[in-house]
Amino acid sequence: METLLLGIVAAPGAVFLFLALLWLAGFTPPERFVAGFTGAVYVLLTAASLWLAAWMIREGGGPVHVSLGQWYQAGDYHFPLSLAADRLSLPMILLVVVLTGIVGSFSVRYVHRERGFFRFFALLHLFTFGALLAFSAGSYDLMFAGWELLGITSVLLVAFFDERREPVRNALRIFATYRTADIGFLLAMFVLHSGGTTVFSALFSGQWPDQSLGGNTASPALAGLLLFITASGKSAQGPFLGWLPRAMEGPTPSSSIFYGAISIHAGAYLLLRSEPLIRSSAELRAAVVVVGLATAFLATVAHRVVPDAKVSLAYAAMAQVGVIFAETGLGFTRLAVFHLMGHAVVRTMQFLRSPSMLHDYHRVHAAAGGQIPRTGAQIETLLNESLRTWLYRFGLERGFYDAWLERLVLVPVSGLSRFLGGSRGTLRPQAPEAAAPGESQE
Amino acid sequence: MFTLGLLPLVSIASFLALWALAAAAAPNRDLDRPGRLSLACLLAGTLIAYAAASLPVFLAGWALSAAPHALGLPGPRRGVQSAQIASTALLAMGTLLLEALPGARSAVFACLMAAVLLRKGIFPFHSWVLDAFGNTSLLPVNLLLHSHLGGYLLIRFVIPLMPDIANQALPFVSVLALFTAVFMAIAALAEPVPRRTLGMLGVSQASFILAGLGNGTQEGITGALLHWWTVAFAMSGLCAVYRSLEARSTTVFAPRGHLGFGVRAPRLAVYFAVCGLTLVGLPGTLGFAAEDLLFHGALLASPLLGVALPLATALNAITVFRLFSTLFLGKRAIHTTPIPDARLRERLALSAVVLLLIGSGLAPGVMIALRTPSTLQLMQSLSGR
Repeated sequence: METLLLGIVAAPGAVFLFLALLWLAGFTPPERFVAGFTGAVYVLLTAASLWLAAWMIREGGGPVHVSLGQWYQAGDYHFPLSLAADRLSLPMILLVVVLTGIVGSFSVRYVHRERGFFRFFALLHLFTFGALLAFSAGSYDLMFAGWELLGITSVLLVAFFDERREPVRNALRIFATYRTADIGFLLAMFVLHSGGTTVFSALFSGQWPDQSLGGNTASPALAGLLLFITASGKSAQGPFLGWLPRAMEGPTPSSSIFYGAISIHAGAYLLLRSEPLIRSSAELRAAVVVVGLATAFLATVAHRVVPDAKVSLAYAAMAQVGVIFAETGLGFTRLAVFHLMGHAVVRTMQFLRSPSMLHDYHRVHAAAGGQIPRTGAQIETLLNESLRTWLYRFGLERGFYDAWLERLVLVPVSGLSRFLGGSRGTLRPQAPEAAAPGESQE
Repeated sequence: MFTLGLLPLVSIASFLALWALAAAAAPNRDLDRPGRLSLACLLAGTLIAYAAASLPVFLAGWALSAAPHALGLPGPRRGVQSAQIASTALLAMGTLLLEALPGARSAVFACLMAAVLLRKGIFPFHSWVLDAFGNTSLLPVNLLLHSHLGGYLLIRFVIPLMPDIANQALPFVSVLALFTAVFMAIAALAEPVPRRTLGMLGVSQASFILAGLGNGTQEGITGALLHWWTVAFAMSGLCAVYRSLEARSTTVFAPRGHLGFGVRAPRLAVYFAVCGLTLVGLPGTLGFAAEDLLFHGALLASPLLGVALPLATALNAITVFRLFSTLFLGKRAIHTTPIPDARLRERLALSAVVLLLIGSGLAPGVMIALRTPSTLQLMQSLSGR
């Protein structure tokens, strides 16, 4: 089973490298080849993952560990290459291969004859590799490697329609948010390394979900806090919530797999994986619950007023992930995993159907014999008029988040940057060897 | 006169590869007589410096490599010329003092360290690098900066000759380098001119090398020596791609909004993205292993330094992506200048760089093994054994 797990994780990475090398050599495979190859790969991956799951269930749910030694080492530091499939990572592995396979199949038609068809599928394979690596990693070090690949592929796919300015600008904003939040991951690894290790089996004793802190964990509350910040960044919680609606500029299949299913839940997975660290501090648990519920509230309000189908779904996803955070903070980890899986599957379906949303609405309403009342409308009537109006504005302005971010972060940072770089008005570089527009070098 | 141990050999091989990349990817207009002379001086001077067995020979190589910029061959800029003359003069003064007054070791150390800081563009000597990147021929200045002769002087001569003073001074040098890294990373965030942005990125990331060497741990020094290659090859790739865009269209000098060249030149876009992401430590590239080791080394030396490194890297990553999107994304094909994609020699040179960065990132053990003897020797010098 160790070889099988290794094969499942490595296969999409190998496919990506193969496609990239083909392209580098000057050969772009035709759509039919890419689609067929992708379909075959995901059928095999799904079969292999189901086989692994069946074997684990038959063996009583014990984890499968793969140790490949050290990736590299210097002095006392080494980077362990270890994979693990346990009760937490196996559901995530299954989600990744099944949902990415479905989305890949859907995308064959969706991006048919798009200029970026090949790019889309190459990035989809890299994304799968990153996600599988992050979810099956046996240590925080290796998880970080997968985590970063997950981030960069999602950003590059938001900018898929690169002939328009908005997707490109939004991709930059998302990338900036990810990189800022990921500083927490790096610092958490440093904190954990000061205790000697970042390998899960050494940090935590017992099997998930009944794990507790092992003897090697230094400053668990601090490490937990830093990981919570990182998880919030990836899952658009708390102060990082602004990027998710911007990510909807990407093609619908990638929005579906990234922000309906996998990427948005990667933060929740990190939190669940680090639950013993979170549990070590009552204040930290309370913070997780408060941030999750506050995000859920804000996202629910915004979801009810935004006119765009995909953005509305993004807020709905954000709200559910907020509830998953709260469940984790309260210690209901099993419930959180079930919630996560159910939410990922339903949201993927909703995103994939979103281009046909009006058609679906009409069909449902017609089948019901009339207009179906909006959910939650009776709760709204309990509020007085002025509060409803304020909440409406609050939702339309998305909690005034962008205005605050602009005022408190972007303006001061760009002012500081211009001050340090001295870039006002003096930056017209001489172009001593400037060519005429369009002039070739040869 | 010359010595060919592992460190000089590895340095010579990597610089030859860098030089070949610059020569192969350079537009024809960069290979006019001053351009060829600049590249020849840089090659000869750097190789002499790497192979030097003594400080006077190293000085000769240093001076020869600095000569094109000191004379203004790649573009006359007073600040750049002054910086090259000053760094060479400081090195010469240190060499003379060492020969004439062996007891004045503190003065010798001060002269040599000042030369190192000037050459590497460490704060407060960073402005010549930005001036050179902004206003002189790009590929020679990139070779000048990323031959890392300043760092080489430190590990080849300064630390072995004066380990006791180096032990006391290097932590401060490390802090100064980290300050430069963060300072340049913040400054680059809103910089509108791509050439200056590249200069800021280069200085910021190259400062990590000095920071790693300065913290004295095996992880930090190994990370610094790996990062040496990362910065050199990734920055050379970035500069080569950018220069090839400049040769195709003038709009890149001071872009107002997105240029969208990715539609016309997808291969150049991919080379730029891979080199840029390597520079900021994308997993699976050499930059990841280098920065991982650097961070751990910095953390062992001082937790505060460990915080500064991820911060600077995160800011530089944002800058890399901003520059990439400005140059290659955000505009319809019908609105972009019709430029050709990478030509054959550019493709060969840049593909080799990309394969090197990814291949060595997937198996960094080979590169670490090449650097380990130098690391151990350096640590031995620092510990006074």
